[in-house]
Amino acid sequence: MAKTKIKRNSGLSDKVNNKKKVDLNKKKLNPFEVHINREKFKVLGQKSKHDRGLPGVSRAKAIQKRKETIGTEMKLMHKTNAFIDRRIGEKNNQLSSDDRVLARFAAERIKQYSKKNIYNLADDEILTHRGQTLEEIEKFDDPRSSDEEDEDGRKMGGLDDEFVSEGHFGGGVLSKTESKDGARSHKDLIEQLIAESKKRKAEKQKEKEQTLDLTEKLDTEWKDLQPVVFKRTKVEEPSLIDKILDKAEKRNEDYDRAMRELKFDRRGVPSDGLKNEEKVAKEEKQRLEKLEMEREMRMHAREIDKSSMPKEQNKHRSADDLDDNFELDDGPDFMLAYDKDGKPLVPEHIFKQNSGFLSSKTKFNEGISDSSDADNEHDENEESDDEKESSDEDDEEQDGHNIIGNDTEDKLNIECETDVKEKDQNMESDSSTSHKEKSIDDNDMTEKQNDDEKLDIDNDINLDNNINESEDEADDDMINFKDYQGLKQSDQESEDEIMENDEVEERISSFFDVLNSEGDNLKELLSGKTPQQQSLVLERLIKSYDPSRAENNKELLCRLYAHLLQYIDDLFSNLEEEDEVLNSFKTFKKIAPYMYDLALSNVLICKKYLCELLKKKHEDFKINKKRVPDLDTLIFFKLVSLLYATSDYRHPVATPCFVFMSEILTKCQFQSPYSISRGIFITSLLLEYTVLSKRLVPAAINFLRGILFLSTETSILNPIQVIPPFRLHKDKKVLVLEDDCNKMAEMYKMAAKDLVAKEATNEFKIRCVISSVNMLHEMFENFGDIECQECLFAPHIQLLNRLNLELYPKKVGFRISEVIQDMKQKLETKTFTLLTKEKKKPKALKLYEPDIQEVFTGRKHSKLPREKLESNKLKHKHKREMKGALREIRRDKAFIASVKIKQKIQSDNVRKEKVKQIYKEAAIQQGELNKLKRMK
Amino acid sequence: MAAPPYNSSKMISAQLRNKANEFLDSRKHANNLADILQMFEMESDNYTPVLLTIEVIFTELLKRGDLFEEIVPLKPNDVTPEGQYKRWLRECYEAAWSRTVSCMTKARGGSRLQALVTACKLLQAEGRYPLEPQNGYSFPAGRLKTIFNAFLDSEILMSAPITRFQEFSEYKDVQQYGLKVLAAMSYRKSPTPIFMQNYLELLDKLLTTDIMPEIKNKDKDKDDDKEDKVLCAVKGQPSFAYNAIICRRHANRCWAFACQWPLCAEPRTQKRALLLLVEKLMPLLMKPHLATDMLCDSLDAGGPISMLALQGVLELVCHHNIDYPDIYERLYAMFEPEMFATRHKRRLLHLADIFLSSTHLPESLVAAFAKRLSRLALVAPPEDTAALLQLVANLLLRHPGLKRMICYDDTPAIMSSDPYVMEETSACASGALSSSLWEVSALRRHWLPAVASAADKVLAAADPRAAPVTVQVPDELMLFDAELKKRFKSIEMNFIRPVGASLPSGERLAHYWEIAT
Repeated sequence: MAKTKIKRNSGLSDKVNNKKKVDLNKKKLNPFEVHINREKFKVLGQKSKHDRGLPGVSRAKAIQKRKETIGTEMKLMHKTNAFIDRRIGEKNNQLSSDDRVLARFAAERIKQYSKKNIYNLADDEILTHRGQTLEEIEKFDDPRSSDEEDEDGRKMGGLDDEFVSEGHFGGGVLSKTESKDGARSHKDLIEQLIAESKKRKAEKQKEKEQTLDLTEKLDTEWKDLQPVVFKRTKVEEPSLIDKILDKAEKRNEDYDRAMRELKFDRRGVPSDGLKNEEKVAKEEKQRLEKLEMEREMRMHAREIDKSSMPKEQNKHRSADDLDDNFELDDGPDFMLAYDKDGKPLVPEHIFKQNSGFLSSKTKFNEGISDSSDADNEHDENEESDDEKESSDEDDEEQDGHNIIGNDTEDKLNIECETDVKEKDQNMESDSSTSHKEKSIDDNDMTEKQNDDEKLDIDNDINLDNNINESEDEADDDMINFKDYQGLKQSDQESEDEIMENDEVEERISSFFDVLNSEGDNLKELLSGKTPQQQSLVLERLIKSYDPSRAENNKELLCRLYAHLLQYIDDLFSNLEEEDEVLNSFKTFKKIAPYMYDLALSNVLICKKYLCELLKKKHEDFKINKKRVPDLDTLIFFKLVSLLYATSDYRHPVATPCFVFMSEILTKCQFQSPYSISRGIFITSLLLEYTVLSKRLVPAAINFLRGILFLSTETSILNPIQVIPPFRLHKDKKVLVLEDDCNKMAEMYKMAAKDLVAKEATNEFKIRCVISSVNMLHEMFENFGDIECQECLFAPHIQLLNRLNLELYPKKVGFRISEVIQDMKQKLETKTFTLLTKEKKKPKALKLYEPDIQEVFTGRKHSKLPREKLESNKLKHKHKREMKGALREIRRDKAFIASVKIKQKIQSDNVRKEKVKQIYKEAAIQQGELNKLKRMK
Repeated sequence: MAAPPYNSSKMISAQLRNKANEFLDSRKHANNLADILQMFEMESDNYTPVLLTIEVIFTELLKRGDLFEEIVPLKPNDVTPEGQYKRWLRECYEAAWSRTVSCMTKARGGSRLQALVTACKLLQAEGRYPLEPQNGYSFPAGRLKTIFNAFLDSEILMSAPITRFQEFSEYKDVQQYGLKVLAAMSYRKSPTPIFMQNYLELLDKLLTTDIMPEIKNKDKDKDDDKEDKVLCAVKGQPSFAYNAIICRRHANRCWAFACQWPLCAEPRTQKRALLLLVEKLMPLLMKPHLATDMLCDSLDAGGPISMLALQGVLELVCHHNIDYPDIYERLYAMFEPEMFATRHKRRLLHLADIFLSSTHLPESLVAAFAKRLSRLALVAPPEDTAALLQLVANLLLRHPGLKRMICYDDTPAIMSSDPYVMEETSACASGALSSSLWEVSALRRHWLPAVASAADKVLAAADPRAAPVTVQVPDELMLFDAELKKRFKSIEMNFIRPVGASLPSGERLAHYWEIAT
């Protein structure tokens, strides 16, 4: 069986056979060949390599090896050519002929492919040179490039028609007789031609060099001139010179134009490679992903904080530490020492702790203050680790506050400029106090003073204007409204007109923006315009004050931000008509992106402005806690959600807004359409704030419960609990639908008119209910993963069940019942798992770095330094290698000698043979000769 | 006077000042006093300048001793002009006093308070420079009585003047004599609610400073006694001897009368009485258990009243061996969402912390409390949430058995519903012990970082090193400023520029409103 198998796949069997033979050879040891080396000492555990050897075999091997190496070399000595067989698989006898052919073919293909790759460069990748693709560069707009030359060259180098017709195709009898010049040999003709073309070439070359030189010269001159030109334009000349210049202007027009063209000529080299669209998109995507990841990190900031906390505490660890978090004593020891007067020199904190030794009374006081401090800190929450930072930071912070304070002062100034003088005094006093405190930035101070001066200067001029403007402001809303209506129709038609208008306005904005009156300027600019126009104007304004243009533009933009805040505030205060509300929101929509840009340009200061504003609003709210703040407060919550990352665990702007909104929802009375609509507005904003982080906002959930409560009939007998701002039996059920509205059109969203509604109409009631049901559903979905979803939302479901759905429009009723069903179903399938603690991994005992010591060997040199030892070792090795090499060389020499002697002997033998032959032949010849002689 | 604008009133006060100065300078202008007193007769909104003038004049006169008269029994009035003048001055003084006191009840706003202050100042002056020779410490108790009469007999609530009176009731002598006078005048059969309210408030103010209940630590307090404020003390005169026992007795008498009134008829009065009883009187009463009935009735009333009564009951139970059957059930029932709207929630939380600090309570009861508190924390305003969570953490720390509610040791079974029944009135039967504090773990997602970390702390209560902390409820509306003050390393902006007024992702306002689209 086995044999047949082997025969079938013979190729394999061959291999196996060969191998076996080799194995057999190895194993079969000829006992006569073995030589046993005598051992002098028996060392226990030592593996002796050389206890036995095969001298004959190894010698034969060595000789064979030499034959293959030195032997062949010797053969080829003094020979220039060598024959190397490079056919693939030729030497490998395990390959069949088919395999061999295949391998060769494959190799050929590879070779072809690689060659193609080398020379077909522009196949799949685009090469660039200094960031521009070669294709683009191939426009060859460099005057020195050879393109032009080629064009001319062809004309020049090419032979002209006459010559071609004559020299090439001319000749023959007919033409010769016709030619006027008579006989002129062909050779002459050619010579003349060559000379001519050479001359022309030289001329051309010369001309070209000249122009090149000229352009280069011009370039360098222009470069020298450039700074002068730029500087001159920056310094605006006073009007006196303008007059003189006016006359010369006409003449200079051409020159000026040319100069401007040159000036604005872009002459920079692109620094980065041009990215194609895909790459740009990809990078953008990566960037967004990174930011999103950071955002999520911030959202879960708490957990991260915790994990990073213990790292900081990682101080000294005792070897006996059992990792049970037992702390011996944390305070660092200090040396008790005394100064000259005999008072102990003790660090302050320790002094506080230990002052009990010194006097009992102080200890008592200190103890109290300490504990209260600790409590405070405790209250402040552990997150605020910044607070532990040194006191100089405190100072800085104070600085910041001062700045804000002054800025707001400033803002106020701008707001009511009619009593500028009084304010000026204020400012001065302000600045003087701040001088005393020495806590305000110098820069800020100087700026402030400048402002003051300017205020003084402009005071007289502006006063009149301001009065007018303030009147304008009073009518602002009215105008706005009228204009809005008027322009609404003609919006599209007069697009061009608008553009012109805007250009004029922009001029005004860019030239009239004196520091102190920008608030009014802004109002002037924006009032009486459609939202679209306003956005255009704003865009231009921001662009014209781009921070890259001038140094203090950044500051100006910050001021612009503050004024825009004020503008939004004005925009949203005292809204009484639906149209006004809509218009305000439209304008806000247009302004908001620019607010983002501005806030991004200087994050810190803009945040401070916004916080100050919120603080002011909160103060107003505190005065009457029962009244819901109007839209001029609420809109800023929306602005915050547009500008800032509201999903953060803790955010300098968003968290106070959260607090504010939650306070509104818990403290205010919700009895009128005014308050209810605003409450719903806030609730939807709270949803927006938490849409990513899915945080729990009890105030919003309670509010929805209250709204549902207000819209259901509840009897005294089976009451459903409500949460405080709503009262169980005292509140009037303002939202109960009494009439049958089944036929009414369905509506899902709250509308602008709800914000100004005076009475709770049926539509209002329906809208309130349906939007709160929708919001409730979303909140419900947000908390799908927490166990106490049921106790949060069960009262809502109870209330929803009591809604008289038949009175509502069909689709609305359907939607509500759908939500109820969904919520019920989800609560039914809810499972409760008891809280468990995460199983802690058992901590491994801390292992220490192994202390490795050298084993005692009893040698003398063991105490030498490491480097020395190393070098000694190397030397020893070198010596041994040298010895081995010498031996090898000697053996090589012997081998060569033996080969040579063999050759010699062989050649001697041949010679001897030949000599013998000669002798033999000679003898024969002699014999024959003798024979002939004898015959004669 | 019909149209008294600002200027004229200024003028009047200047005029009055002139007149007073003239009068005090020489007797020639004696009629000025009559003129000034005449001013009271006129209808006016603002009696303040007149009152101030009177105050100045009579304090000066008293100081000078112009009013001083030595009454020698059986001696006829001397008819000298000097004597007549003195008598006339006395008459004027009496008239001025009665005017001032009537001003307290009849005048408006600022004048009422000024009248009180003037009366008290005069009282002080008279105490220092008595009208008649006296041996021992002199205190014009009669004057004080008229003031009190004005307080109590008024037909309106006198809370503003009474609050102002606190300035004076802090003086030890005023306290002692005041209690005495009040005790003397408090017998009344069926007082009006307003009377009761005023009475209770006055008593409350009189007890502002602690009366030393026992004299056992007399030695220690000797130093402090010297620092006590005494209204009518003059150097060289016999000093005022403060007697805590007498004070206490008078206070007891005051309360004994008040006890018999129908205090529980009106919730406002009841609240007032309870507040007084609980905060001030309880330690002073000789027989506090007499208040038991009232406290028990109040405890049944529900709402804020029972919250107040709870403290009194606690006192009774702790110190006076009174056994109240199911006080924990009562306490349990008090934890309702409505408590957040009341002003006494802080007190309730504090009391609950004390009540539940006993380690001898059944675990099921404490578990029910923990569960209910955390349920409430789910719907509470943020500052209350933090306090409630602290309370829950304290419960967990004091009753180690409750740790199964946050870390169940065995492999947890999956349940289909929460075993805890919130509606169950009996705390022990609510089945809270087999439940878990899922509410707390939900609160870890609260939007306010402080609350979230408090929830973390509750869940970390299994840590043996944590210790109970006293529950503190921060002030309302302070949270906003506190958050604004926090410092941050960076201010994170949205990384996508908003298009229009809607967020690129997660816009909700436009989702529910038809305005910002």
